[in-house]
Amino acid sequence: MADYQLIIIGAGLSGLAAGIRAARFGLKVLIVEQHWQPGGLNSFYFRQGHLLETGLHAMTNYAPPEEKRAPLNRLFRQLRLSRRSFRTHEQICSEIVFPDRTLRFSNDPDLLTEDISREFPGAADGFRRLLDMVRDYDPFAPAPWRSARRFLDGVLPDGRLADMLLLPLMVYGNSEEEDMDLGQFVIMFRALFLEGLFRPAETIKEFLDMLVDHYTAFGGEIRFRAGVKRILRRGDRVDGVVLHNGERITAGSVLSTAGIPATADLADWDIDRSAYRGKMSFMETIYLLPLRRGASIRNDRTIIFFNHGEHFAYRCPGEALETSWGVICFPGNFKGLPGTDPFQVRVTNAANYEVWKAAAPGEYEMMKERWRERSADQVGKIIGNFRQDVVYVDSFTPMTIERFTAKAGGAVYGSPVKLKDGRTHCANLFIAGTDQGYLGIVGAMLSGVTIINRHLLRQE
Amino acid sequence: MTRNEIKNVILEIIEDIDEEADFDSLEADKPLRDQLDLDSMDFLDIVMELRKRYKLQIPEEEYPELSTLNSCVNYLEPKLKDF
Ligand SMILES: Cc1cc2nc3c(=O)[nH]c(=O)nc-3n(C[C@H](O)[C@H](O)[C@H](O)COP(=O)(O)OP(=O)(O)OC[C@H]3O[C@@H](n4cnc5c(N)ncnc54)[C@H](O)[C@@H]3O)c2cc1C
Repeated sequence: MADYQLIIIGAGLSGLAAGIRAARFGLKVLIVEQHWQPGGLNSFYFRQGHLLETGLHAMTNYAPPEEKRAPLNRLFRQLRLSRRSFRTHEQICSEIVFPDRTLRFSNDPDLLTEDISREFPGAADGFRRLLDMVRDYDPFAPAPWRSARRFLDGVLPDGRLADMLLLPLMVYGNSEEEDMDLGQFVIMFRALFLEGLFRPAETIKEFLDMLVDHYTAFGGEIRFRAGVKRILRRGDRVDGVVLHNGERITAGSVLSTAGIPATADLADWDIDRSAYRGKMSFMETIYLLPLRRGASIRNDRTIIFFNHGEHFAYRCPGEALETSWGVICFPGNFKGLPGTDPFQVRVTNAANYEVWKAAAPGEYEMMKERWRERSADQVGKIIGNFRQDVVYVDSFTPMTIERFTAKAGGAVYGSPVKLKDGRTHCANLFIAGTDQGYLGIVGAMLSGVTIINRHLLRQE
Repeated sequence: MTRNEIKNVILEIIEDIDEEADFDSLEADKPLRDQLDLDSMDFLDIVMELRKRYKLQIPEEEYPELSTLNSCVNYLEPKLKDF
């Protein structure tokens, strides 16, 4: 008899959701996490008495509890969590800012439609057709890769509108450079523009605590500081894992959320690693500003997606950081959230992993500072100069992401090629999370649920 | 279990799965899925819950037997007679 029916590698959102789903139906399951706390890409840390979230701008896929078919509510049912007791705050209003043009969107899709008819009067019909397509398309049916850009060129007369729509969808959930699979485009379009953005009333810490408690209440076990060194493989089956401390734990099946390249290393999986190494990584900077300075900057939006260039190119920059486009997030600007002092402004820019990796240890901190200044200059053009007021600042880079989550190359959205069925070279080794195909917090959790349903609950 | 008990078990399972479930206008001869707006993932949960509670193995080709409340009771009655 194996020690467990299932071992899950990683206590990120996909691993926790998978764990809950498996434990709920009585599987004997163990989650092993290398870090001392859960969350993975979406975790938290404390600095100067402030709890800072590592990866939460907003959750996508907003839906009120009575919309049963909405992904968020299906997710809660699948995990047997009460959606009614999950208190949320919807975004106030977000904005896509390009030179000379601005589109606003909120959780009411009509706002975006209105702004498009104002800014791109010739595109109103095309956009309506796009909406119909997005509503009817089945992004989950197996289909070959299709270019979202080419599709948009076909329906929208103005390439700039396509760029403006793609910026938020890509930066919040595209692992490929330049273009995006049409199915992924539809998933992200619905998640952001039709369903919308919100955040939990509490921090990601309470959300993670809730998931871990729920999991252990179903009998699931979890171990932190338990990094997996190797997956035990015998032919086309796996037997369990070996931890960094040498301990062997056996299992009937193993589910890895560490990403395809890392899983390949752990399980002698002979695949072309380079094809599965994502290039899109980011630097995230958190600024704390005193509340009294709130009035001196533009501070009425939830999230601003900006691009200063004529065109928008979603790709890994040649230099350490891409400052001409990015995301500015005001985590305090959700409906009904009490203001905090100081308040936060977060900035995300695309970053080049190789350049950050090549930095000498003494150089790394200076590099951060230098690039942060350049980034702040560009952000200042949108929200006004805020640098003199910053009371605390911290940035994390592709190196930080790689160190804390083991995502190869700090690729936040993982591999550009997804393994949608979650299968690997071994019949009882599966992958879930970012590299299975769903992205973001809600997406990663749905991924964990889907893989457990498909491979662990239906079998026997 | 009596037919009535089985019916209550099914409703209890659904209530557990879906806090929004509203049984007031539920018709026992009409498909549960349409009336309660459940999807195939929820449906799997009914099967899984029956397996967990009563060690019942319901093969996938027999899932249609569970489509209405009445058909559930008919299908489960012989299987749950010793509980
Ligand atoms: C800066 C930033 C901002 C983001 N903002 C948002 C946002 O606003 N909204 C949103 O929806 N999403 C956001 N995301 C994306 C979201 O965080 C991820 O899509 C999601 O958390 C991915 O979850 P996962 O479980 O697939 O992967 P991960 O979180 O990477 O989980 C994998 C886990 O496995 C562990 N692990 C890896 N290797 C091993 C090993 N060998 N042994 C043991 N454990 C191991 C890791 O430590 C990690 O905990 C953001 C991400 C970042 C980095």
